[in-house]
Amino acid sequence: MSDTLTRTEPVSSAPFVGEGISISLAVPMMRYSLRARQPQALETLLGVKVPTKIGAMEEGIACLGPDEWLLREPIGSKLVSGAGLPVSIVDISERAICLVVEGPRSAEILNAGCPLDLDRFAVGRATRTIFETVEIVLLRLAEDRFHVEVWRSFAPWMWTALTTAARH
Amino acid sequence: MILIHCPYCDEQRPEIEFAYAGQAHIARPVDPDTYSDEEWERFLFIRANPRGRHHERWRHSHGCGRFFNAVRDTVTDKFETTYKAGEPRK
Repeated sequence: MSDTLTRTEPVSSAPFVGEGISISLAVPMMRYSLRARQPQALETLLGVKVPTKIGAMEEGIACLGPDEWLLREPIGSKLVSGAGLPVSIVDISERAICLVVEGPRSAEILNAGCPLDLDRFAVGRATRTIFETVEIVLLRLAEDRFHVEVWRSFAPWMWTALTTAARH
Repeated sequence: MILIHCPYCDEQRPEIEFAYAGQAHIARPVDPDTYSDEEWERFLFIRANPRGRHHERWRHSHGCGRFFNAVRDTVTDKFETTYKAGEPRK
């Protein structure tokens, strides 16, 4: 049955392109919320080093809080079960969508609603923050490329807000 | 916009990422069964309302999600210091 279902996205799949800016929907991906009091337990499970500094990102794992990580992986990746280890792994793939904000004006456009000081938000950092009143996870992948993770139900509003800022 | 130092993120972050969560250092009753009505009243409802230095709980709700304590001046709205939950009163 499931293969007869088609995926619907809350925002346009056609990118918005403006002067010095492009905003587009990222390809669907797997997202996991990883929680553990001891990061070593996660490292045992995943076999990679997880960042312990809040706001740091390594190999697709972003440290959002002292015991919270966000792991993003391509669709189809399988994660081992955490059975027996003191960790919590929750599949939140469909909770959020990701908007790619790209171009020399991207920081300026994000700052239209996000009060974070992006001059001090280095490449490779990721954090939960707020855009106007909407909670987002902001990831800086390059000097001029950001990923904005936003909950699906907020996505149409977020798209309108970003494209409106980009038009000005 | 005020910048608040989150002791967990160890960074100055914009005020709107935070939520105020009442007076700090209010200990829960160790043995609630023995509490009198007056003691319950004091624990649940009676709060300090100083002019000046105030110990408060704050939560970095749109950030790391952690509760922490802060000393804020209620007159100037300046944050004197912030420290992690569980640390002694500053």
